Amino acid sequence: MTDEPIQKARSPFIEAWEMFARNRSAVAGLIILVLISLGAVFGPALYPTDPFDMVWAPFSPPGDAGFIFGTDYLGRDLLAMIINGARVSLIIGLAAAVVSIVIGVTIGALAGFYRGIIEEILMRITEFFQVLPTLLFSMVIVALFGASLPMITLAIGIVSWTAVARITRAEFLRIRELEYVMASRASGTKNAKLMFRIILPNALPPIIVQSALMVGSAILFEAGLSFLGLTDPNVVSWGQIIGSNRQYILDASYTVTIPGLAIFVTVLAISLVGDGLNDALNPKLRSR
Amino acid sequence: MTQDSPQGAPLLQVENLGVRFAIKRGGLFGEKRYLYAVDDVSFSLKRGETLAIVGESGSGKTTTALAIARLVDAYTGRVRVAEQDVLGIEGEDLRQIRRKVQFIFQDPYSSLNPRQRAEDIVREPLQSLTETSSEDQQKIIDRLFASVGLRPEQKRLFPHQFSGGQRQRIGIARALATQPELIICDEPVSALDVAVQAQILNLLRDLQAEFGLTYLFISHDLGVVQHMCDSIAVMYMGRVVEYTDRRSLFNDPKHPYTTALLSAVPSIDKKRRAEMKRISIHGDPPDPLAPQKGCHFANRCPMATDTCQQSQPALTDKGNGHMVACHLVT
Repeated sequence: MTDEPIQKARSPFIEAWEMFARNRSAVAGLIILVLISLGAVFGPALYPTDPFDMVWAPFSPPGDAGFIFGTDYLGRDLLAMIINGARVSLIIGLAAAVVSIVIGVTIGALAGFYRGIIEEILMRITEFFQVLPTLLFSMVIVALFGASLPMITLAIGIVSWTAVARITRAEFLRIRELEYVMASRASGTKNAKLMFRIILPNALPPIIVQSALMVGSAILFEAGLSFLGLTDPNVVSWGQIIGSNRQYILDASYTVTIPGLAIFVTVLAISLVGDGLNDALNPKLRSR
Repeated sequence: MTQDSPQGAPLLQVENLGVRFAIKRGGLFGEKRYLYAVDDVSFSLKRGETLAIVGESGSGKTTTALAIARLVDAYTGRVRVAEQDVLGIEGEDLRQIRRKVQFIFQDPYSSLNPRQRAEDIVREPLQSLTETSSEDQQKIIDRLFASVGLRPEQKRLFPHQFSGGQRQRIGIARALATQPELIICDEPVSALDVAVQAQILNLLRDLQAEFGLTYLFISHDLGVVQHMCDSIAVMYMGRVVEYTDRRSLFNDPKHPYTTALLSAVPSIDKKRRAEMKRISIHGDPPDPLAPQKGCHFANRCPMATDTCQQSQPALTDKGNGHMVACHLVT
């Protein structure tokens, strides 16, 4: 009756990693992301040039006098600015994504699990936030409460949680009707455990993908805000470099292109990793 | 076995159970209508016996089972398990009842959480419903895996690594974990292929003998039911139309619907096959949202009369405890 081959029981973490490692583009994304993170953490120590110092003549093209990325309109070292900007971009990207996941998952889970009047109220609130013009709304928050890094993070998180909430709710609505949730109910499992230990893990794959994409879009959002000048003037960020050099785009296009490429590569790497995570965390796709 | 009830008293008593679902149309202030999925259903079940509920899809048999297990809310009626009311209780009382009443689900592919390991699935009721220590839990799990015919090394596997029959064994082990008295089996074999069906049915019978279990067995397959149960309730459109012990139902079916159902059971016995005339029922059950006032079966019944169209027959004893809801049976 049970002559199927015995399978080794391995830790789900190792199984997920093996699945992830099989996806080449995801691994490439992860490598890029690790390199960027290492650069952000150790770069300023290894390349101690102050990004605010005027080190050479303005508008020196890349390679000139040993400055790999050249200098900007104030003669500041662009490489030093990119390295220091990576810190700000990654921190804001991650922190804003965490803020919006916490808000979005909580609201989506409550709405999808309890249905009824709770769902009505929470989803109307979600729709309210959804129809606000996001960039304008976050600009208002930053303009009102000051352009500090925590406030910018919060502003980005507050305007971007709606997608997570809707995805979470949709997954909860689907999963709560499945028999294994009913089986857990019959096993006497309490609502909180049902929501966060039984349903949420099964709702995770789309949420994880959305979160990974959100880190990317938060980085873009931050770039947009600092391009418009709504940024902490005491720190460098990629968007700020683009914003401050935008007038010279025709004469010194590299001052805008290089930070733009940095944003592009980072967001792309994050998307690739998110995609790989999706495949790795879904046990149904795992090899038997 | 607990001794808190006298021998022979029914373990499960269902009286006038009704389940309805609200169907809302047209937004927030739309008119509310009810679909009566289960209507005035009564039966009782003695300890150690098996009652089968049979009927076609949509006859309310699964909803009846879910209502007894408190997984769907009933709006009226009374359910008692071991002399204890089941409906309307909450908190600790409900926990006590859940420990006594467990459920085996129809589809072993959707009834196991894909992200839990087999042993954690079986552990869940132990964790939520009992205060057993984790060493004791592990012992119970080991014993259950042996009882349902799974190997110890399979404990750490995830559901997708099992076949359908093995998955249903995990579901059975989960249902047995809290040492329940009543197990509700909702078509436990209908999603499995025939060879595996027989294995699972035999397992259920062996476990019944071993642990003294009482089964409420839901099925649409009279062939399966024949080998499992002591008594049978036939449901149609949310109502019980015939309710009696197995022998009288199979030898002397009284309700026209039951007769038609039985004629559809294939037989390999040539003599029996020759005797049996296939009665086919035409059409579909009527719209459950627009119930007619007469017998629900009247529009498909080959023998329906005017009386059948006008008044609903009650489930009455037609001799020797053979309950039938039909005007034509005397």
